[in-house]
Amino acid sequence: MDDSRKYLDPKVLSRLSGLALRARLVVEGYVSGVHRSPFHGFSVEFAEHREYAPGDDLRYLDWKVFGRTDKFYLKQFEEETNLACHLLVDTSESMTYRGPAAAMSKLDYACCAAASLAYLILHQQDSVGLAAVDRDIRALVRPSTNPSHMEQIIAVMENTVPEKKTALGPIFHELAGRFDKRGIVIVLSDLFDDIEGMVKGLKHLRHRRHEVVLMHVLDPAELEFPFDQTTLFRGLEQAQQAIVEPRALRRAYLEEFNGYLRRLKYACRALRMDYVQLRTDQSLEVVLSSYLASRGRR
Amino acid sequence: MPAPFPYPLAFGFMNLPLLGWLAAAAAPLLIHLWMRRKYREAPWAAMEYLLAALRRQSRRLHFEQWLLLAVRTLLVVLVVLAVAEPYLERPLLSLAPPGQTHRVLVLDGSFSMAYQPADQTRFDRAKELAREIVESAPAGDAFTLLLMTAPPQVVVSTPALAADEMAAEIEALRQPHTTADLPAVIPRIREVIEAARRERPRLARQEVYFLTDLQRAAWAPRVSKAAEEELRRQMGRLAEAATLMLIDVGQPAADNLAVADLRLLTAPAIAGRTCRFEATVKSFAAQAATRQPVELLVNGRRVAQRHVDVPAGGEATVAFEHRFDRPGDHAVEVRAESDALPVDDRRYLAVPVRRSVSVLGIEGRPSGKPFGGASAYLAVALAPGDEPGVSPPVDVEVAPESAILERDLSRYDVLVMCNVAQFTAGEADVLSAYLRGGGSLVFFMGDQVMPERYNRELGPAAKEGNRLLPAALGPVVETPEGRLDPLEYRHPILEAFRGAEHAGLLAAPVLRHVRLEVPDDTSARVALRLPGGDPLIVEQPVGRGRVVLVATSADTSWTPMPLLPSYVPLVQEMVAFCLADRMAGRSILAGEPLRGIVAAAEGWTSVEVRTPEGDRREVRLSGLGNQRDWTFAATWQSGVYAVHTAAPDEQEQRFAANVDTAQSDLAQVGLDRLRGEVWPGIPFEYKTTWQEPERPQPMALRGGPGRLHVVLLAAALLLLLVETFLAWRFGYQTQP
Repeated sequence: MDDSRKYLDPKVLSRLSGLALRARLVVEGYVSGVHRSPFHGFSVEFAEHREYAPGDDLRYLDWKVFGRTDKFYLKQFEEETNLACHLLVDTSESMTYRGPAAAMSKLDYACCAAASLAYLILHQQDSVGLAAVDRDIRALVRPSTNPSHMEQIIAVMENTVPEKKTALGPIFHELAGRFDKRGIVIVLSDLFDDIEGMVKGLKHLRHRRHEVVLMHVLDPAELEFPFDQTTLFRGLEQAQQAIVEPRALRRAYLEEFNGYLRRLKYACRALRMDYVQLRTDQSLEVVLSSYLASRGRR
Repeated sequence: MPAPFPYPLAFGFMNLPLLGWLAAAAAPLLIHLWMRRKYREAPWAAMEYLLAALRRQSRRLHFEQWLLLAVRTLLVVLVVLAVAEPYLERPLLSLAPPGQTHRVLVLDGSFSMAYQPADQTRFDRAKELAREIVESAPAGDAFTLLLMTAPPQVVVSTPALAADEMAAEIEALRQPHTTADLPAVIPRIREVIEAARRERPRLARQEVYFLTDLQRAAWAPRVSKAAEEELRRQMGRLAEAATLMLIDVGQPAADNLAVADLRLLTAPAIAGRTCRFEATVKSFAAQAATRQPVELLVNGRRVAQRHVDVPAGGEATVAFEHRFDRPGDHAVEVRAESDALPVDDRRYLAVPVRRSVSVLGIEGRPSGKPFGGASAYLAVALAPGDEPGVSPPVDVEVAPESAILERDLSRYDVLVMCNVAQFTAGEADVLSAYLRGGGSLVFFMGDQVMPERYNRELGPAAKEGNRLLPAALGPVVETPEGRLDPLEYRHPILEAFRGAEHAGLLAAPVLRHVRLEVPDDTSARVALRLPGGDPLIVEQPVGRGRVVLVATSADTSWTPMPLLPSYVPLVQEMVAFCLADRMAGRSILAGEPLRGIVAAAEGWTSVEVRTPEGDRREVRLSGLGNQRDWTFAATWQSGVYAVHTAAPDEQEQRFAANVDTAQSDLAQVGLDRLRGEVWPGIPFEYKTTWQEPERPQPMALRGGPGRLHVVLLAAALLLLLVETFLAWRFGYQTQP
């Protein structure tokens, strides 16, 4: 492993103070090797065609191709100088969870990923903004291409105190109204909310022609339920609590949780959104690079 | 004895107290509750999905939880039940009526059961059959055991379930030498059955087994019609309460010869003087017995032998003489040639041999003049001179009334009260105790006698136990002239005068007397009557002694009789009559209690009884004061019983226990007569051998202690495996 990459391990990152340093390590350690932006925008320099999907801007239909093939293809361009990326970071209380196997909480991990993406985007001279949300919009940073904008984004994330429940559906609706410039919306959340409500909000975003990427931040304990002692589980966002013999309930819990994941992924596919699962015990480098690489291949 | 569970459970337990450990069955629940309080805490984000899983799995988790708890609890219960050694009192899977039967075994304990025609006595055969009944009975049946003796013995009163213990009880039985008292044993059997019904309601059936030789004397006793009817009624009620089975161990024809009686003719026995004994040998056979040897044994040593011819079904007497060299109690035995029933071939007699006879004369009016007091005439009459062989040597002491309380009266054979004015309550108690101890009293009247005080302390008005006098004393009256009435010399006191009417007794004048009123319903007998019909001499047995009441004076104040020659034999016969009864308490029938009184020193609490078999038994003294009573009831064997008091005044008293030869006749009652005449209409089964009747046997879950607990342990082991599997399968434990 390259020396620079080893610092991308969450355990190492968690020991670094300051999101700016973490983001720089993540991006410069690996992403800097990528010479072409994986975030495709709209440019004068044609890159490739993409099949039309309902909702796409008809201005970019390649009528010549249509004339030849009777099929709708959109023209895509190599560079986008006016890419606007909106980072939505869930700062609800559930994001503070940190399981026994994780090096950092979900919120720390989400912030780290958001900062890395912001660094990367600013590095490409694109604009990036940030919204810290729970059931309200706690902070909103408008997209900007100014490199000093990074400091503001990081400051917002570092100063936000998680204390409320998640209610992402209404937030998506509200932000869909606020984001006047079409762009990419990257949601970093554990998405522990009503799926139906979230889907309606996401549909609104999609309706406003935003590309949406759901980065589902999960703790490995939530995915595996590895406990083996009788435990009193106290809800982080709910007042409820339960004494549970984990071994007896593991299967039922996992069935329930995986069902939720399936419904979520199904909704993402239906809305043609990218779904990226971020496990807080995984290296950000691996997750981001593999996702960005897959985007780059599109 | 194991104790059962109450109805309707079919189980009993050998170790019932261990069931207390069933409380340990609560342990799994308590551990479960304790574990619920012992947990770690953790925050959790995905609470919605955890709660949803809990809601969805709640019923399953509860079911698994309770299933595991039930298995663990049952596991503890099974182990505890197994340790308590359960047994089935009735088959669980049988469609037949409950098989638990209370079997009352009644062994005939009469001495006729000692008859040994071959290598086994009837009693041994009865024990063998009783063991067979016990050992072949289904598990769960309970047994009680009685001996039909006189009085009846309840050997095992609480229904016993363990066959081996019951067999051991039967094996330990020893042949008693009493008679069989059927009328007395039936109520005891019913008491045992009733008690078992109360304590063990599941003993639904009762069966009474009489293992007997069906001796006619026991089963068809010669009693009054009313007693016969009562016996039949009692047996009928027993037949209603239980199934009766007669198991016959006797033989239809069995001859027997018995020593029916042994008497000392020359009581009291005095050391150095020849005593004459007479024994009666009785035949209960169809053939006459000729030249039957009969031996006399004294203290176990043969001292004489005679031969006697005994006619068939008749009797013959044999006379022996023996001189005892030393005073003390001697065991005398007459032994006929041993036959198949040796128990009644021997007769025992305990003979207290005295150095002399001691008489204490209580003088109501002491006088310093010769023959000034009444007792002086008595002293001369009782000890007129040394005439060996004619009359026993008598030591006469004369003392004032105070001697009654001051002296140890047990040293004296007879007390003679002469013109004693009255008695106090304390004196009455002492005299009563003296009579219970075997002493005798002779009362002579006189001018000082206060009849009402006699009646109040010793007569009909006295308290219970102190009514010693054979007649109530009336006023002093003048005696009409005429001859005394000897009442045909029937009384032993006057028997010596029979044929000697000219001896002057009947012509002896009596001037004055106290009118004696003899109650009708007492055992008092008048020996001699005055002219006019008033009694002159009345006597009755009291305690182990006798009381003789003479209506006139012992001196010449009321009668010149003391000056006449007939006075000497009359007084001597009175004393001899009293002494003759001193041996009465020394002979009992086997089964009757032995009683005695000892002058107990301070700190004495018991006497020691040595039985004919050599066993030593301690018998506690009862009562207070110097005169203490003892009673020994376990006289089941015939022979000589020796009673020892403790040192330093160590003395040995001997008592003879004999069989009642009224039941030496071995003739059987006969089955036809029993069904037709003795117990008409009373159902019973008759057997001579025993075989357990076939009963429906359940296929499983049967067994006494030692089998069922193995099944339970196996079930517990299986449950242990099931628990391990379930615990592995379920995880455990969860509380929503």
